[in-house]
Amino acid sequence: MDGIDLAVPTGSFFGFLGPNGAGKSTTIKCLTGLLRPSSGTMRILGLDPLADAVAVKRRIGVVPEDLALFDRLTALETLTFVAEVHGLDRTIARDRATDLLQLMDLESAGSTLVTDFSHGMRKKLSLAAALLPAPRLLFLDEPFEGIDAVASRQIKDLLQSFVARGGTIFLTSHILEIVERLSTHIGVIAGGRLVAQGPIEELRAGASGASSLEELFITLVGGDTRAPVALDWI
Amino acid sequence: MLRILRAFAWMRWRVLMNSLERTGARDTVERLSLAIEQIGPIIALALLLPSAIGLAGLGTYAGYWLPGPDRVVVFDALRVLLLIASGFCVLGPLLMPSMERTNTVRLLLLPIPRRTLYVAHAASAFGDPWVLLAVAAVTGVSAGLLLAGAVVAAALALLAGASIVMALVGLTTLCASLLHLVFRDRRRGELLALIFILVVPILGLLPSVMGPQSQTREERRAERQARAERRARGEESRNERGIRIALRAYGFLPSELYVRTTREAAHGEHRTAVASLAGLGLSAGILHAFGILSFSGLLRSPGSSARRQAARTTWFDRGRIPGVSRATMAVARAQLCLTLRTPRGRSMLLSPLLVFGMFAILLRRNAGVFDAGFATLSNGLGLATVSAGTCLLAILPFAVNQFAIDRTGLTLVLLSPLGRRELLVGKAIANGVLVSASTLFCAAASWMLLPGGHPALWINLLLAVAATYALAAPGVAALSAVFPRPVDLNSIGRGSNAHGAANLLGLLLFAAASVPSILVTLVATGLLRRPVLAPILMLGWFGICWLSSGVLFEAAALVFDRRRENLGLQR
Repeated sequence: MDGIDLAVPTGSFFGFLGPNGAGKSTTIKCLTGLLRPSSGTMRILGLDPLADAVAVKRRIGVVPEDLALFDRLTALETLTFVAEVHGLDRTIARDRATDLLQLMDLESAGSTLVTDFSHGMRKKLSLAAALLPAPRLLFLDEPFEGIDAVASRQIKDLLQSFVARGGTIFLTSHILEIVERLSTHIGVIAGGRLVAQGPIEELRAGASGASSLEELFITLVGGDTRAPVALDWI
Repeated sequence: MLRILRAFAWMRWRVLMNSLERTGARDTVERLSLAIEQIGPIIALALLLPSAIGLAGLGTYAGYWLPGPDRVVVFDALRVLLLIASGFCVLGPLLMPSMERTNTVRLLLLPIPRRTLYVAHAASAFGDPWVLLAVAAVTGVSAGLLLAGAVVAAALALLAGASIVMALVGLTTLCASLLHLVFRDRRRGELLALIFILVVPILGLLPSVMGPQSQTREERRAERQARAERRARGEESRNERGIRIALRAYGFLPSELYVRTTREAAHGEHRTAVASLAGLGLSAGILHAFGILSFSGLLRSPGSSARRQAARTTWFDRGRIPGVSRATMAVARAQLCLTLRTPRGRSMLLSPLLVFGMFAILLRRNAGVFDAGFATLSNGLGLATVSAGTCLLAILPFAVNQFAIDRTGLTLVLLSPLGRRELLVGKAIANGVLVSASTLFCAAASWMLLPGGHPALWINLLLAVAATYALAAPGVAALSAVFPRPVDLNSIGRGSNAHGAANLLGLLLFAAASVPSILVTLVATGLLRRPVLAPILMLGWFGICWLSSGVLFEAAALVFDRRRENLGLQR
């Protein structure tokens, strides 16, 4: 990554977009402390994630691309682990865990080992683990990938109410319809460089009135300049 | 079909080369760590060609002298080699998952007839070193016979060589398919893995345990005489009958059939040689027939299955150690769950108990004395000491790979508001709990089975184990950070082992950490001749170790911090 000058307003639903291999997940890894950038500065909720790593982690929730779960813990144990490392009151933690498992439709799988979960179930559990400590900022790397329509709808509603209550979401997704529906702001990265950021409407207007986010995105990443490949042999 | 086989061979070659060339290492330390891991396979690969040439040479020598009247010792050696190769054909797919050759789901997606798939699957066995070496040896024997002028014998030996190689390939294919069929059900696979991990190391001790109790010279002489008398009367004991049947069955092994065919052909007994060759061809055919059956079974239902596994969760947020934070305890509990819910982890707890059981039986059978040659075990305290050492060493594969075993769980840990010290101490507590549980059990059981010895020395032993562990724990944490190895804890062989360098250095670390405890015990019991002083001195040493580990954990935490990116990205 090079020259990423990103500002995510507090209380916004920020969609971070880019083609495959553009650096979206790497940006999230840097912001959440999994990677140390070679240069530059970062501030998250007013804190330096390199100097105050633990303080920052108390305030954020993350659904990383590899889902970050212990294979040999059950769903309930995973949530208990998160509650314990965040020092949550045990009664509160238990109530929250029950609510989250219900929301994610994982109640019946509460005592099942994660290793027996499908990809979608893992994704939901990872999201539940990120939400459990009631963070002020959520980093979600492709959170809707592999999730069924019913849960997806519920999660979208939940995320919108999270933002309505003052929370901030930093989300990457390849499903542009979802980003368009949920996000207030977007940032677009291509080839490791930030090519645009700001409120969706402003960017659309700037791109000579692109009719959809898809059109805007393709224009920004230079997809429209690529020569079409005709596979006549198909 | 040839084009498909060539494509498979090319694919396997590229996979091998890419695994050696493109490591994806992020920095010098990771490159070094990966290079050490690859030294073994690279050396094996480098030695393969000269070994094959050497074996072909030995085979030629054996073949050249085989028609003569004298016994050819080199040929006997090749016979053993072929037997060992047969053993490897069975164990190879089990112990070396890296050599896994069947991803049936992927294969089924290709437009290849199932018959061709089986041939491609079987052909991959030709890449196994033991099969390649067997090919070199049997080719050499035929060449030697030809040089000696025994043309017919050379032709028969060549056919026998081709048949034994086909038998080895069939055996490998059959075992690999069966293994996949068994492991397709995760629960069944885990059980089998646990049994295998526990049983294999114990096999070496079985003859001593199952063998006769120690006898006097007179008793042994009387038994020999009785055996001779029975033989003279034409009777045989159940053991002797068993051995006779086993030897007859042994004669039908493909390696033995090859030896018989070649030897008979070399001595001009062509008719019997052809019969033996037919037997060898038949055994190869049977192996492939069963191989095709099991492979077809695999292709019919290639997906893995397992009943969802539920686990008790009542204890997960309970239990505290005074002075230890909730976050640290959570890390310790997660590590304990990982240990208690994987075959490799369970074996850490069970294998010391099994070793203890074996030694306990030996001691009971031999009136409290077991002479191992280099040392003599003569009482319960000795048994407890040996068991305690086993308990410490049993945790090594987990302790020296304590971060990588978490796999994606480590990312969850790294994203959590945990101090690096909390993480390291949490892991050390979990491993300490495992060592303590197994050590306390073994010590208590030893005391109950063979009481005796000064009570102070029993307490001294427990303190010595605690001191050794406290001193070594930060070191093994640092080794885990420098030499991580992503592992599959359900795997039986190499797949669940820690990094070779970490294992070796961890072993040395534990050995070095135990030296002061041994010296303290020797000073109290040998120099001062006051066993009662041993636990008092050891308590002092434990205090020093405890304080030192506090400082050493800080150093280990620094090492961990330097390696956290690499650890977080390693899968």
